[in-house]
Amino acid sequence: MMIRKITYRNISHSMTRLLLLLTTLLILAGCSSSASVQIDRNFPSVLAKPKPIAASIVLTEEFSNYIAQPNDKTVIDLGSAQVQVMKNAFAGLFNKVEFVTTADQITTDNGLIITPSVREVQVSTPSDNYLNVFEVWIKYNLDIADSSGEPIVSWFMPAYGKTPDAFMASKPKAIEEASIIALRDSGAKLMLDFYRIPAIYGWLREQQRLEQSP
Amino acid sequence: MKPLCKSVVGGLLLILLGGCSATTTIDEYRPSSQPILLDANEQVVVLGRRDAGHYETDREFIDCVAQRMRGSDISVLPEARFIDAIYPWFEPRTAPKGLPRLKKLMQDPMIKTVVNQQSVRYLVWLDGSTETVEKGGSISCAVGPGGGGCFGFAQWDKLSVYEAIVWDLEELQEMGRLRVDSEGTSYLIGAVAPIPLLTPVKSDACASLGNQLKTFFTASE
Repeated sequence: MMIRKITYRNISHSMTRLLLLLTTLLILAGCSSSASVQIDRNFPSVLAKPKPIAASIVLTEEFSNYIAQPNDKTVIDLGSAQVQVMKNAFAGLFNKVEFVTTADQITTDNGLIITPSVREVQVSTPSDNYLNVFEVWIKYNLDIADSSGEPIVSWFMPAYGKTPDAFMASKPKAIEEASIIALRDSGAKLMLDFYRIPAIYGWLREQQRLEQSP
Repeated sequence: MKPLCKSVVGGLLLILLGGCSATTTIDEYRPSSQPILLDANEQVVVLGRRDAGHYETDREFIDCVAQRMRGSDISVLPEARFIDAIYPWFEPRTAPKGLPRLKKLMQDPMIKTVVNQQSVRYLVWLDGSTETVEKGGSISCAVGPGGGGCFGFAQWDKLSVYEAIVWDLEELQEMGRLRVDSEGTSYLIGAVAPIPLLTPVKSDACASLGNQLKTFFTASE
């Protein structure tokens, strides 16, 4: 009888320890500061009238499969989402546009060759910025050349997104939302500023002059 | 329980619950006291301002106000559907901050067509945030093999400040503006189990703003 009692107590203590361990693990998992984010959202087409210009957009394998690691604890898979955003935005800028993966696939004779790349991705969380917002910066670089491959300009295009911190909301979800807003911002920035780049403006003027000259 | 005990417990509960109500003030400006007429095929869209540096007008609040305004006679278009349809012209970077920019945007036939297709007549801009302005007290929790519990007392004040501006997308003019300030204190009492007594500051601001905005509009016969 006595032996049975001791065994029961041992089992009871083991169960309590196991439950405590599991509870601690659950709490620690909830407080985990790492985030792995996959952006799988559809981005809208742009509402714009494209200019009568041809362009070839080189979306390299590296760009299409880009996975950002802004810090040790954060991984953001941006590749397919940024390809969709860029395709939508460039389709709103040029009336004749082709998307290729390498420069040797280009078929357009007279137009721009644009190669986007990601220079850097930065993330800021409420514990970093002491604000109630998660922030994401995606810094793009657009290498723009004419149809002969002669560089016109290398344009730095930063995009920014932020999302408010919410009680009990997960860090990956907040970073995903901020990344989506940053990606949307990259489309907006492209639409707003592309034809304002002085070198592009100059190139367009030159093209018009060449077309008008006998 | 003795009648005296019941009275004391009841009184304490009333004091505690009374302390959990928010104080809300609404300031309203309208050029005319007449309600805005809304045709059966016309819609309102509620959009959040997201260009401020240190805060973000959260989508949850926008949805809450839109839900409050929505009724049998007011049709409210979801924010995401409008900004997707008109992308990228109402993103934080590109959204018009004033009427001159809105007038310029609406001169674009493509944008005008989409606005007409969505049947959006009025646009309500919401700008603001809810923040914790003061904290006090302390509470600590401990768990051991013999059990656990929380002991102490904590309190915090929350302040919601939101401004709503109504634009007419047809006449391209401002139809009025509202400002809501809502403030309240929440408590957390640690008596073995933590007992939260939360003041719904944000939801009070949403309800007040949504109900007041609803009075701006009326369906035309």
